[in-house]
Amino acid sequence: MSDVGFHLAFWSLSAITIGAALMVVVSRNLIHAVVFLILSFIGVAGLYLTLSAEFIAVVQILIYVGAIAVLMLFAIMLTPRAGRDNSETGMRLPALVLMGLIIAAGTFIGLETDWGSMRGEAIDNQARIIGESLINEFVLPFEVAAVLLTAALVGAIALAREDPEDGSLHYASLLEEGLISPDEPSDAAPLSGTPGGGD
Amino acid sequence: MVIGLEEYLVVAAILFGIGLYIALSKRNAIAVLMGVELMLNSVNLTLVAFSRFSDTDVALSTQVFVMFIVATAAAEVAVGLALAMVVYRNRHTVSVDDIDLLKW
Repeated sequence: MSDVGFHLAFWSLSAITIGAALMVVVSRNLIHAVVFLILSFIGVAGLYLTLSAEFIAVVQILIYVGAIAVLMLFAIMLTPRAGRDNSETGMRLPALVLMGLIIAAGTFIGLETDWGSMRGEAIDNQARIIGESLINEFVLPFEVAAVLLTAALVGAIALAREDPEDGSLHYASLLEEGLISPDEPSDAAPLSGTPGGGD
Repeated sequence: MVIGLEEYLVVAAILFGIGLYIALSKRNAIAVLMGVELMLNSVNLTLVAFSRFSDTDVALSTQVFVMFIVATAAAEVAVGLALAMVVYRNRHTVSVDDIDLLKW
C-alpha cells in the first residue's frame, strides 16, 4: 500500500476530485459546472478503484456520469430562460462558515479517532460476494429499491410531461421568447384553443 | 507515509463541505441538486473506505449499502429535476430566491 504508483494515484485523483468540485463552485456558466461535476464523479470512481472496489467504481461511472449528469444537462437545457449563470444567493457567508466547520469537524474526527485494526489486503471476488448477498440477506431492500425506482420513474414522468390539453402554454412561452412569430405555422402550435391562454 | 483510512476520510470531508456549500448557496435549483449529489458521493466514498479497511467479515455489506444509496440518489435526482421542470413551466424560473410560495 505504500508504493509510488499508489501514492501518485491517490493524490492525483484526490486533487482532480476536489479541484473539479471547487470548479463547480466558481465556474460562472452552469453547463461548465455540470462538466466539472462529471469530472469530480470520475475522480471519485478512480478513488473507488484505489480502494479495490471495482464494482462500485463501474456503478459510479454508469449511474452518476452516464445517467445523473446527463439528466442534469438536459434539465439545464430545458430551462432556457432561467439563466445559465451559476450565481450565489445571500446565504453565501453562512454557507461558507458551515462548510468550514463541517470540513474541520470531519477532518478532526477522521484523523483523531482510533479506528482499530485495519485490513491489510483487499477482499477478492468482491462483485460475486456483493451479488450473492444482494439476493440472499439483502433481498428485501433490493426489492424495495426496485419499487422505489419504479415509483420515481412514474412520478418523474407524471410531473414532467406536458398536458396535451395545455399545449398552449408551450406555444405562449415560445411566442414570448420571440422564437416563433404568431402567424408562422409551427409544430408547437396548440391542438385546440387559442394561443397564449395558459400561464 | 502510508495511505490509509484517514486520508480518504479527509478527502470525503472536504468533498462533503464543498457539496454543502453548493447546496446552501447556489441560486439555481439544479445547481442545488448538484451539491446534494456531491454530498452523497462523499458519503459513498467514506463508506467504501470503511469497507476497504474494516477488519470484519461483513465489510462488503457496506458496498451493498453504497449501491442502495446510488439507487436512491438516482430516484431523487429524477424526481427533483422533474419538479424543477414543473416549476419552470409554471413560473419561468428555477431560482430558489423566487420560489418562495411556502415562505412565511
